Amino acid sequence: MADIFDRFAPLMAQRDSFFTEAGADPFTVRMDQVISQTEAMIGNRRTILCGTNNYLGLTFAPEALKAAHAALDDFGTGTTGSRVANGTYVGHKALEDELKTFFKKDHAIVFSTGFLANLGVLSTLMGPDDFIVMDADCHASIYDGVRMSQAQIIRFKHNDAADLDKRLARLADKPGNKLIVIEGIYSMLGDTAPLKDIVAVKKKHANTYILSDEAHSLGVLGRFGRGLPEQDGVEADVDFIVGTFSKSAGTVGGFCVSSHPKFDTLRLVCRPYIFTASLPPSVVASAAVNLSIIRGPEGGALRKRLRRNAQHLHARLTNLGLKIASGPSPVVAVVAPSPEMAVAFWRGLIEAGVYVNLALPPATPYGYSLLRCSLCAAHTEEQLDEVVAIFGRVAADLGLIERCARKVAGA
Amino acid sequence: MTVSASGSGETLKVVYELLAPFNKRGVDLGPGVRFSEDLNFDSLVVMEFVAAVEDRFDISVPLNLLPDIATIQQLADAVDRIVKSDKG
Repeated sequence: MADIFDRFAPLMAQRDSFFTEAGADPFTVRMDQVISQTEAMIGNRRTILCGTNNYLGLTFAPEALKAAHAALDDFGTGTTGSRVANGTYVGHKALEDELKTFFKKDHAIVFSTGFLANLGVLSTLMGPDDFIVMDADCHASIYDGVRMSQAQIIRFKHNDAADLDKRLARLADKPGNKLIVIEGIYSMLGDTAPLKDIVAVKKKHANTYILSDEAHSLGVLGRFGRGLPEQDGVEADVDFIVGTFSKSAGTVGGFCVSSHPKFDTLRLVCRPYIFTASLPPSVVASAAVNLSIIRGPEGGALRKRLRRNAQHLHARLTNLGLKIASGPSPVVAVVAPSPEMAVAFWRGLIEAGVYVNLALPPATPYGYSLLRCSLCAAHTEEQLDEVVAIFGRVAADLGLIERCARKVAGA
Repeated sequence: MTVSASGSGETLKVVYELLAPFNKRGVDLGPGVRFSEDLNFDSLVVMEFVAAVEDRFDISVPLNLLPDIATIQQLADAVDRIVKSDKG
């Protein structure tokens, strides 16, 4: 008789051959002690964290800690209820007000995670006669959200505005709304959308809206940290912005903002908003404080440091002869020649005290096997130099630097 | 390139032609050949191939249809249906 988990047997076999035999399993990393935004004890090894998406290092912002402690004492550890029942506290409304101020939008809805924000908005917004036209490299939460919708789903080639235009042109005679879905910064490679071109395409077509997921660009791009739409000067043309508090904002939770006058309708129809418990009071309190830091002068200084760190790491790893998947950004993804080599590389790094993300196909674009680093404004130059030195040592041990260098020369 | 609504044979021919560059294993193409099991298509190849089909027939093949399209014949039928509904 078949076991209920039998259908996962090939996957588990692959996991065993990749990780168990290699003596390193990224799914078992455990932070035993968090020393700072950029260092933790993993087992008894002091480890530099270079893959936490904690871009601005706000997980220990003193003002946010203070607000979270106060909310914990005043309102308890959890709301035990949905936003539409007993789970909307003064803090949730204050966070939504802060989001409206932050993004200069008329409406804001807070969800319990970024994943749920995408799931909720995308599954609800578009009906059976509508079309969602999404970038092929969008995040899993976008894929799941659009699958839950009743709309027709069309994908366009990653970051290709001309391909998007072609696909929208084919839908010109169809009634129904069209929603373009993109991301400000794509999480795996750190590349940004050609948003100005995409806005120009949107304007050519009737009944067409844009939703941008700014999960990785919130706090990172734009003078005030409002993400790619701010940086590209097209905020008025991006109809919906989805994001998360789990990266730059240093906590957890998701949101969607919009100036569409009927946006709040979602609160009545959006199941991932209605049928889940709301965020704990301490979480919404720290998120609101961190957003106000991000849009203020301190945020500007942190963005500057983040950019400098990103350029530093990108340049130094490139100098080693490693192949980086895209230009300097807070995500620096080193391309390994094979999944097996990436696992060995990752193991070498973690054993030497550097944590990065191991990302393997099919979760990666172009079938890349990646050592994905993400920068933090709080990384010191010394820490990054140590990261680079360890990368160099491990890559040399694996005979990779020469191999990568030849590839680059041959390209 | 125009394809009549009842021209499934014609559609199949075009699909074979479009499949040629993706048929890395040199599989003998027939209506019953399966994309995943026989041609070893992964999600990236599916994306590229669907784009080629869309461009050739000037249609949109929504992602929603893909779970129901396992074989070449099923794809040709889906293309014919979409072409017909676009004309109607």
